Amino acid sequence: MTEIIDQHQEGKRDVTFRVFRFNPQVDSKPYFDDYTISAERGITVLRSLNYIKEHVDATLSFRAFCQAGICGSCGMRVNGISKLACTSQVWDELDKCREPGIIRVEPLRSLPMIKDLIVDMDPLVDKMTRYSNWIDSTMPLADMGKKEFLISEEEFQRYDKATDCILCASCVSECSILRANKEYVSPAVLLKSYRMNVDSRDGIHDLRLAELVKDHGVWDCTHCYRCQESCVKSIPIMEAIHAIREDALESRGPRDTSGAKHAEAFMEDIEKKGKLVEATLPIRTNGVVWTLRNLLPMAMKMIVKRRTPPPPPLVKSAKGIKVFRAMFREMTEHVKQDHLKSHKK
Amino acid sequence: MKRYAYYMSCINESMTKEVDRSIDFWQKDLGLEFVKLHEGTCCGGSNLDYVSPKHFALVNARNIALAEKMGLDLIVSCNTCLMTIRTAKKKLDETPALKKEVNDILKKEGLEYRGTSEVRHLLWVLVDDVGLDTIKAKVTVPLKNYRIAPFYGCHILRPSTVLGRDNPLAPSSLDQLIEALGGQTIPFEHKNRCCGFHTLLVAEEESLNVAAEALEEAINSKADFIVTPCPLCHTVLDGYQSKALKQAHIDSSIPVFHISEMVGLALGYTAKQLGIKRHIVC
Repeated sequence: MTEIIDQHQEGKRDVTFRVFRFNPQVDSKPYFDDYTISAERGITVLRSLNYIKEHVDATLSFRAFCQAGICGSCGMRVNGISKLACTSQVWDELDKCREPGIIRVEPLRSLPMIKDLIVDMDPLVDKMTRYSNWIDSTMPLADMGKKEFLISEEEFQRYDKATDCILCASCVSECSILRANKEYVSPAVLLKSYRMNVDSRDGIHDLRLAELVKDHGVWDCTHCYRCQESCVKSIPIMEAIHAIREDALESRGPRDTSGAKHAEAFMEDIEKKGKLVEATLPIRTNGVVWTLRNLLPMAMKMIVKRRTPPPPPLVKSAKGIKVFRAMFREMTEHVKQDHLKSHKK
Repeated sequence: MKRYAYYMSCINESMTKEVDRSIDFWQKDLGLEFVKLHEGTCCGGSNLDYVSPKHFALVNARNIALAEKMGLDLIVSCNTCLMTIRTAKKKLDETPALKKEVNDILKKEGLEYRGTSEVRHLLWVLVDDVGLDTIKAKVTVPLKNYRIAPFYGCHILRPSTVLGRDNPLAPSSLDQLIEALGGQTIPFEHKNRCCGFHTLLVAEEESLNVAAEALEEAINSKADFIVTPCPLCHTVLDGYQSKALKQAHIDSSIPVFHISEMVGLALGYTAKQLGIKRHIVC
């Protein structure tokens, strides 16, 4: 113990990297290799991996390029969390090890594995294509290359943060829904779609939005905030996802998809009773047939246990609902005025 | 006696009535008094914020202003209500124009949002205000011999810029509460993962996959039960449990408790009193 403390104070100590290994051409299943190296304070996980590859085991494979948190190539899971190896300090990671002194390094989740720490980014690229995540310029062809296409400072602020994304796929790896279904659009793709959809130079907003509201799209996000929490550039990804939903409700109406209907039900109930009417929420979201087919067996169990939500007439309104409703409607007028102003602009 | 304004979550007045019922049993034992906010309205359940950001601000400014009028902090026992109301508070505190617009409307009810009341979770009150030593001293039926899987859920941890009480990567408050009640926490990978609640009606299969993963780990770890500070997580992990496990081809089951029930049990109240018999999985 004294020895470890001495080493710590000296700024140099032995650290074990427990690294995920898998070569599908040779291995029948993945395994872990332990590499113990003498690491100095200030060294990053990526530099440690480089050292291992150069001096210990040349067969270890990982992707890396800029080594400075700019290119997004070295996304991997360090001690279970998806992040960039190049901006992760070994000394910081030592505090997070489950087994003292052993840093676990694994590939990103939810993307196909190629070898060791390298995953296949093609599914992500394919989704970027499917959702048309580029600017389809509204500038006439004749003006291209001759004129500037200016945007306002105010508009730029709306997507400034979103353009920080370096496509490292940490959010993709941490996403709860993608883990449950690989078809899901994924947070990085939603962020990029948001960025394109709020750009006034783009001409395919409606087309992109129509794709985003389909199955496995924006309404499937479960609001777990893991994407935002793991973002190496601290981008508020959930705000972008919510903004796409807000846009979908405004541009396509509240009856468009089950996701839109579900969201709108909250607004209706709050205005009417100040409380959510849970009993009818499944029907209002998905219709009677879906509800009977999917929820009837569970509803029976809930009736037996007396935990069914009360039917609408029995849902008590919040105390003072009349005054509340008047205030709620006054805010509705404010929102209408806001819309008029923004449309005039 | 420590006094708080208590926010009544919609789900605790309908499907998970046992949460508030069990708190009523033991609040005095722990020197707490929760004044129920009958005027409070639905927070918007992590949906109103994008359906109409301004209504979202108004509704939750009012919820907090009701507590401020009494000079009390607002206590919430649902993770999503907690995250939602705290998100609104942050927005109101950071946007003076929005705060003014909302307050101009709230005047009609004689209310004003000032930003003076904190919005906190029941779990935080237990661990930080009552304190682990006091809780330990009040335990009459320690939960010894119980292996307990702590499931924090998302909205008590993330976004950490809004929540901030626990480290979202390594939360500890619920583990501490379990241990103060004499129980044994088990290492639980899914402790800070998602239950899938918010897409149950929109992407059911995905939601149930998410829930099944957590349930499977708890079952494989030989936990006696899961405990959660969130009635929404409880609804998925308990109510939808058989459906989720069936989808994942797992033939087993595990009870899921609310923190309010776990506290009640350790303070000597019976499962029947606390409403545990109302769970789908008992």
